[in-house]
Amino acid sequence: MTSLDGRHAQWKETGALVVSRHDFKTEGLWLSAVVPPKSILTFAKQLCDDGFTLLDVSTIETKEGFFVTYHFDSFQEPGRLALRVLLDPQKPQVPSLYPIYQGAEWHERESFDFFGVEFVDNPNLVPLLLPDDLQGPPPLRKDPKNLASLSLLGVFGKPEILDPQWADIINPPKEPKADA
Amino acid sequence: MSSLNFINPFGVRDDPGTVVGDFYTDNFERNARPGTVILNLGPQHPSTHGVLRVLAEMDGEYVVRAEPVLGYLHRMHEKMAEVKTPWQFIPNTGRVDYLHPISWNWAYAGAVEQLAGLTVPPRAEYLRVISCELNRISSHLLWWGAFVMDLGGVTPILYAFEERETINDILQIITGSRLTMSYFRFGGVSSDIDARFIKLTKDFIPYLRERLKMYTGLVTDNVILRRRVEGVGPMSVDLCQRYGATGPILRAAGLARDTRRDIPYGVYPKLEFPIPTGPSDDCFGRYMMRLKEIETSLTIIEQALAQLPSGPYMMEKAPKATFKLPKGETYFAVEGARGQVGVHIVSDGGKSPYRIKLRAPGFSNLSLFAEAAKGTLLADALAILGSLDLVIPEVDR
Repeated sequence: MTSLDGRHAQWKETGALVVSRHDFKTEGLWLSAVVPPKSILTFAKQLCDDGFTLLDVSTIETKEGFFVTYHFDSFQEPGRLALRVLLDPQKPQVPSLYPIYQGAEWHERESFDFFGVEFVDNPNLVPLLLPDDLQGPPPLRKDPKNLASLSLLGVFGKPEILDPQWADIINPPKEPKADA
Repeated sequence: MSSLNFINPFGVRDDPGTVVGDFYTDNFERNARPGTVILNLGPQHPSTHGVLRVLAEMDGEYVVRAEPVLGYLHRMHEKMAEVKTPWQFIPNTGRVDYLHPISWNWAYAGAVEQLAGLTVPPRAEYLRVISCELNRISSHLLWWGAFVMDLGGVTPILYAFEERETINDILQIITGSRLTMSYFRFGGVSSDIDARFIKLTKDFIPYLRERLKMYTGLVTDNVILRRRVEGVGPMSVDLCQRYGATGPILRAAGLARDTRRDIPYGVYPKLEFPIPTGPSDDCFGRYMMRLKEIETSLTIIEQALAQLPSGPYMMEKAPKATFKLPKGETYFAVEGARGQVGVHIVSDGGKSPYRIKLRAPGFSNLSLFAEAAKGTLLADALAILGSLDLVIPEVDR
């Protein structure tokens, strides 16, 4: 098993955009990483090889786009980690974790139902919990005026920003903050 | 006559282009092999315990492929969480899983307390353990009866209900309800236990231990049951890992993972209890696992009653109905009767949470059914379905 520091280093090496440490007592997570959508499979494979299981896939809609959190729990020792991806608000697309975690199929279909996030190569991306003939936009999407920005939601713990683009998202420049 | 587009009422596809079912049947049929029969089980079917539908592609008596179809009991709890205040959502948690509502109470109250940094007084922590474990026993008992009924033995569920009724009577004293309990509050529980509760619980523990012996003689050692469940539906640790299955399924497969022990919450670290594993990863293993867990829960209740401290059952300055969550994110998990129950809250500091995701253990457990049922006899597939201990409202949320 890899320790938290080891995992931190491994994620940095694999190309994470942001790696955050969390306070487990209040956040219920030890470590999380924002990763590029196209390399989510690489990260998931590492966790799968180390005996992690996929707990759930939780999507949030924010001003910046769809923020998908994959929660993992270890089968060997206590360890709750999260991988996150930020997807384009117009065309949210991310590769499916199905090749590694077959259980991801349903979790992804759930996010597809409620947010319209498209999981590429999910073998059966049809409505799961909602009726097949439901009209209208995905029901958990928010009114654009109610969207919060990621920096307001406090999801990053103590971040180590590895990609300069994320610096603005996590610590937005002062002026737009005054607007919000 | 040949120009008539004949649709075989038994589902044999003479013409692959003909749509005979609804959207899901049609979608399922597309990958079917020629010569097989598509069988639709449910949504109203005695062995699906609620409104679950299973599509199965049959080759004779064998299941070639199966696909559960969900959503018949979907109530959009996650949306309700976004429009209600945290307080208003408490009763919803009792309605997600009607067999073990207190675990959902706990997952939600625990998540809110974790995010807001509330401290629960010691007595309330013990009351939580006692109520949660009693509820776990009643959930397992109902499963036990229903599972044996699935396999054709109708009598045992009547015995199981006798015990379950006793637990309901006991829990009714403190929760006020018999099914959809909402006992937890942020920072404590809604009421204290009284002498009557303690006496009934203390009498119940030795009574159930005796009854469990009778269960062994009546059902567990029954050769008909053994033949139906032994070696049926093996689920390895690897399968559980790939599908995120937790709870008795995982422990029966031989891995001692239990949230109560691994990521402790409440006063579980102060209590001594074993995490049983095995004996086998088939339906019989899962059957034995749940019976063992009833005994574990009895041990926990005994200890909790013995250690029960005095004091308040609610924290001072407990959150009022106007309570707002601070901004931030949290994930909190507890061990429910079916596995790890998780609540993921993201809050922007507003009146109601920005987003709540409920992780239902039954959802992940059911997702492995398609793989586990592949190539089994239909009767065995139903045994596998029963051994997963499904509560459909929890799967659908």
